[in-house]
Amino acid sequence: MRQGAGRVARALLLVAGASFMPVLAQEAGVQEKGEWPMPAHDLASTRYSPLDEITAANAGKLKVAFTFSTGVDRGQEAAPIVVDSTMYIVSPYPNIVYALDLTREGAPVKWSFRPQPDAAAQGVACCDVVNRGAVVAGGKLFFNTLDGQTIALDVATGKQAWRTKLGDINRGETMTMAPLVVKDKVLVGNSGGEFGVRGWLTALDTATGKLVWRAYSTGPDKDVLIGPSFKPFYASDKGKDLGMTTWPPEAWKTGGGSVWGWISYDPESNLVFYGTANPGPWNAEQRPGDNKWTAGIFARDVDTGEARWFYQFSPHDLYDYDAINENVLVDLPIDGTTRKVIVRPERNGYVYVIDRASGEVLSADPFSPVNSTLGIDLETGRPRYNPDKQPRMGKVVRDICPTAPGAKDWNPSAWSPDTGLLYIPHANLCMDWESMQANYIAGTPYVGAEVRMYAGPGGHRGVLTAWDPVRRRIAWEIKEDLPVWSGTVVTRGGVVFYGTMDGWFKAVDAKDGKPLWKFKTGSGIIGQPVSYRGPDGHQYVAVLSGVGGWAGAIVAGNLDPRDGTAAKGMVNATTDLKQKTQPGGTLYVFALP
Amino acid sequence: MRPAIFSAILLLAGCRGRQNALDFASDQSSAIGDVWHLMLVVCGVMYLLMMLLLGWAIWRALKARAASHDARTAAPGVDRKWRAALAAWSALIVLGLFVLAGGSFLVDRRLARGEDPNALQVRITASEWWWQVEYLDPAPSHTIVTANELHLPVDRPTHVELRSNDVIHSFWVPNLNGKTDLIPGRSNFQTLTPRRTGRWRGQCAEFCGLEHARMAMDVTVHDAAGFAEWQAAQRALAKAPDTPRRTEGQHVFMTSTCASCHTIAGTDASGKVGPDLTHLASRHSLAAGALPLDAKTLAAWISQPHAEKPGTNMPATDLPPDRLGALVDYLMSLR
Amino acid sequence: MAACIALTLGGCEREKRDFTGPQPPGGPAPPLVGLQPGTPSPVPPDPRGARYENNAYHIGQGQNLFRWMNCNGCHANGGGDAGPALMDGEWRYGGDIDHIYASIDQGRPNGMPSFRGKIPPEQIWQLAAYVRSLSGNIRKDAVPSRSEGMSATPPLTRRESEPPKGGDPAPNQEPQR
Repeated sequence: MRQGAGRVARALLLVAGASFMPVLAQEAGVQEKGEWPMPAHDLASTRYSPLDEITAANAGKLKVAFTFSTGVDRGQEAAPIVVDSTMYIVSPYPNIVYALDLTREGAPVKWSFRPQPDAAAQGVACCDVVNRGAVVAGGKLFFNTLDGQTIALDVATGKQAWRTKLGDINRGETMTMAPLVVKDKVLVGNSGGEFGVRGWLTALDTATGKLVWRAYSTGPDKDVLIGPSFKPFYASDKGKDLGMTTWPPEAWKTGGGSVWGWISYDPESNLVFYGTANPGPWNAEQRPGDNKWTAGIFARDVDTGEARWFYQFSPHDLYDYDAINENVLVDLPIDGTTRKVIVRPERNGYVYVIDRASGEVLSADPFSPVNSTLGIDLETGRPRYNPDKQPRMGKVVRDICPTAPGAKDWNPSAWSPDTGLLYIPHANLCMDWESMQANYIAGTPYVGAEVRMYAGPGGHRGVLTAWDPVRRRIAWEIKEDLPVWSGTVVTRGGVVFYGTMDGWFKAVDAKDGKPLWKFKTGSGIIGQPVSYRGPDGHQYVAVLSGVGGWAGAIVAGNLDPRDGTAAKGMVNATTDLKQKTQPGGTLYVFALP
Repeated sequence: MRPAIFSAILLLAGCRGRQNALDFASDQSSAIGDVWHLMLVVCGVMYLLMMLLLGWAIWRALKARAASHDARTAAPGVDRKWRAALAAWSALIVLGLFVLAGGSFLVDRRLARGEDPNALQVRITASEWWWQVEYLDPAPSHTIVTANELHLPVDRPTHVELRSNDVIHSFWVPNLNGKTDLIPGRSNFQTLTPRRTGRWRGQCAEFCGLEHARMAMDVTVHDAAGFAEWQAAQRALAKAPDTPRRTEGQHVFMTSTCASCHTIAGTDASGKVGPDLTHLASRHSLAAGALPLDAKTLAAWISQPHAEKPGTNMPATDLPPDRLGALVDYLMSLR
Repeated sequence: MAACIALTLGGCEREKRDFTGPQPPGGPAPPLVGLQPGTPSPVPPDPRGARYENNAYHIGQGQNLFRWMNCNGCHANGGGDAGPALMDGEWRYGGDIDHIYASIDQGRPNGMPSFRGKIPPEQIWQLAAYVRSLSGNIRKDAVPSRSEGMSATPPLTRRESEPPKGGDPAPNQEPQR
C-alpha cells in the first residue's frame, strides 16, 4: 500500500516538475537503482537524488550508519561513488582508491588500489593535494592521480586495466578533477593555472586509455579544435587563431585555461559543456588582450572534440576568476517558452543562464556582493569591469568583491526539479590585491599577485543560497560563520545537505531553508555529499570529512596565521580555523534509524 | 690668436654631440631649446646692461672724485632723474621676468600636451640597472620587448610610459627631451618627436644605486622604412641554432641558470627578471651601455659580471670554457 | 666621539659587499638526522654561512631573489601555501643556514624542487640567509627594513626570534657570529 502511494506521489511530482525536467534520458536505470555513478550524479550535473525516504519531517532522526577512515589527513574533496552496492572513494594524494562492500555490515573494504603517484607532485599542487572523485561506467572505475595520470580499474577486482600519463609535473601540471565518461570516452583535464601550464581537455578511449582527441585552451585554432562548425554567439569570440592573437607573443604557451572542474553532457545535441580556468599569470598587465580561450565555457562535440561555441565569462581576467564551475543542464520556462539552458553559478558572483545550443547569455544576475564588475552587458556578453577596482602593478587595490576563489569556487551546487531552486554553497569574502611582476620558471608558481582576503559585507564568511533562476532572485539564504566550501545534494524528499568548514554536516528544508538536523564530524567538510539507496532498500547520505583545499590550507598545511598573504591570501580570512578544526580524513554515512 | 681659436673650438664643442642637451633633435628638445635661448638672450642682455651701467657708474665716480672734493651737492633736477632711472630699471627687470616666465609657461604647456592618437606607444620599465623597453600595440601579439635600446621613427610622436620596478630612476635623453623620473608604483609620461635620424645616448639621471652611472640608454632614430624593418625583425622569434655548437649553446642556456631569469622567444626560456635576449646580438652594447658587445665581452660578462659592473644583479655563472664558448656562440647568433 | 667612530666602523661589516667570482654548483650537505650510532661526532657548520648571514647586502639580495625565483609562490611571505611556513620555529629538514642551503640546492621529498644548476651557489646562500631572517634569527641591523609588497606580516625588523624548535630530525648547527 505504501509502495503504491509512493509511486503515485512520484508520478505526480514528475508531472508537476515537468517544466523543470533535467536531462536524464540516459540514466533511467540509475534513477531506478538509486545509485550515484559520478560525482555530479548524472550527465546534466543536477546532483539531485530521486530518493524520498528521508524527508523534511524525519531528517531530524538521522544517525550515523557507518564510518571509514581513508588514512589520509588532507583535504577531502571527493564524492563517494555508489554503483552495484559498492562504494568507491578516492583519497587525496597518494590517491588511494577504496571499494567498500555495502552489502556487509560496516561496509568493509572489498579492495583498495594504490597508484603510487610521484611524491614530488605535491610541490606543484596549488591548493592542497586534493582529488574530486572517481567515475564508474561499464564495469570500470576511472580516476586521476596528482602526478597527471588517468587510471582505469576493473571494479570487480580492483586491478588496473590501463594507465595513461598525461601531465608533466616538471611543467607544473597536476590532475585533481573527477573525469566524466560519455559513451566510449573518458574526458579528463589538467590543473596548474597558477604554474603557467597550457590547459587542455583530453578524451581517452575507455577500453584502452589511448588518446582520441585533445582540445587545448590556448593557441592556434587547430590545437583548440576550432573548425568550420564553430559558431560562437558573440562578436568578440569570432576570428581566426584568437587563442594566439589575443595574447602577447608566445604568452599563450604559459597561458593557463586549465580544465580542472566540471563537465556536463547533453545526449540530444551530443555536446559536452565545460569551463576553462584562469589565464596565467594572475598579473593581468603581463598579458594584454582578451586571453582567449581562458575563463570561459566551451561546447564541444564529444565524438571529435570540435568546438561548437564558446562564451568568455571574464575576458582579460583580472581576478583569477576560473570559469570551471558546474554547468547544470535544465529546461527552464523563460519568457513564455521552454528553453534548453545551462545554469552556471559563476566565480565572478553572477548566476548565468545560457542557451545550450547557441551560447547566448539569457540572464546574468549577482547572487553575492559584487564590485569587481558593474554588470554584464547582454548585448556584447562582456562584463563591465569597475575601473576603481582594477589591479595595478605596485599598487594595493582594496576591498574587491568577490575574491580570487570567487563568490563560489569549484564546490558544486545542486538543482531540484521539485522546488525549481539551485542550492549554491558559497563564500562571502572580499580582498586586497597587489599585482607585481611574475617570473616564469617552469615548475614554479607563475602568479604575480599578493592577495589578502577577509569577510565581506555582513561579516559572515559563508552562505548557502537557494537561487530561483526563472525569477532570477534569491529564494532564501543561510549565513555561516566560515566559508561554505562543501558541495550540496538535494533529494526528492525535499532535504538539502551541506557541510561547514568546522565539521558540521547539516540538513535543511529545500523549500525554505529551515534547519532540520546537524552532526559534528571529526574535521571540516569540503567534500561532496551524495545520497544513495543501500542494498537494504533504505536511503543513505554519505560525505567525506577532512578539511583542506584552498580554503582550509591553514590547517591542512599548518600555515602561519601571522602572514596574511599566505595561501594566496586565504590565511587572512581563516586565521581562526586552527582553533575550530584539525586535519582529518573520514567517510561518514548516515541513515534513518 | 691661437688661444682664441682653441677656446672657440672648446666652446662650440658644447653645441654638438650624441648626448647633448644643446643639440636639438626632436620637437620637445627644440621647445626646451627655445626657452634656453630666450633665457640666454634676456639674461644676457640684462647682464650686459648691468655691466655697462656699472662701468659707467664707476667711471663717473672716478671722474667726479678727480674733479672736485666739494662737489657733493647735486643739481636739483638730478634727484628726479635718478628716481626716473630707477623706476625704468625696475620696470625693465619686471618685464624681463615676465618674458621669461611667459616663455617657460608656454613651452611647458606645449610639452605637456595630451596624447596624439597617432603616437607610437612605448613602455619603459627601469630596474637596477637596466631598462626594459616594450612597444605596445593594440594587437597584443605584435608587442615587442627589448632592453636598453630605444628605436624611434623620425617625424612621428612616441608616447613613452615610464615605470620603475624598484627605486626611483630618471629617464633622460638630452638630445630629445628633458628628464622625467620613473617612480615605483606610478606611471609618468614623456613624448618624443624626433626630427633627425641618428643615434643618441641617454642615461639614468636619478641616483639609483651602485651602478647608477652605468645605466645608459641607446636611442636610434630611423626613417619610416628603417623603423618598419627594425620592428619586423624584432617581432620575429629567436633565430634557431643552425650549427651543432650553437645547438649545444642553446642547450647550455636552457639547462643552466640562464633560463631562470631571461627570455628567448620561441624557446622554453621565459624568465622575466633580466633583459629579454631574443635579439641580443642586434644591440649595440651590453649591460646598459657599460660594455661593447662582442664574444669576448659577453663571455666575461657571463662569468665575471662583478668585474665589469660590480653590484649588478647578474650572477657569476660557472661554466667550463667549452660550454661557455658554445653559449656565447649561440647568443651572438641571436640577431 | 670615540663611541661614534666605533659605532660607524661597526656598521661597515654589515654593509660590506664582496663580489665573488663564479662558484661551482653544490655546497654544504649536512646530515639530515642527528641520530648517529656510537659516539656522535659533531659536524662543523660551513664557514661561508656566517659571511652571508650577517651581511645586509646579501640578505637584501635574498629578499629580491625570494620573489624573483618564485619562492613566494609556494611559501608566501613566510606563512606558506603549497610549501610549509618558513617564519616559525618548526622545520622538517633543519632550520640553520647550512640545512636551508641544502634544502634549496637538493630539493626535498614531498614537493621542494631542487634548484641546483638553476640558481647559482652565491644566490642560494643569499636566499638561505633571507629565509633565516623570516623566523627572526638574523641580527636586526642586517635585515632589510623595506618590503616591496603589501603590508600583511610583521616587518622583518620587528620579528621575534624563533630558533628552530625540537621535533625536527635534523641536527641544529649553531650559527657562527
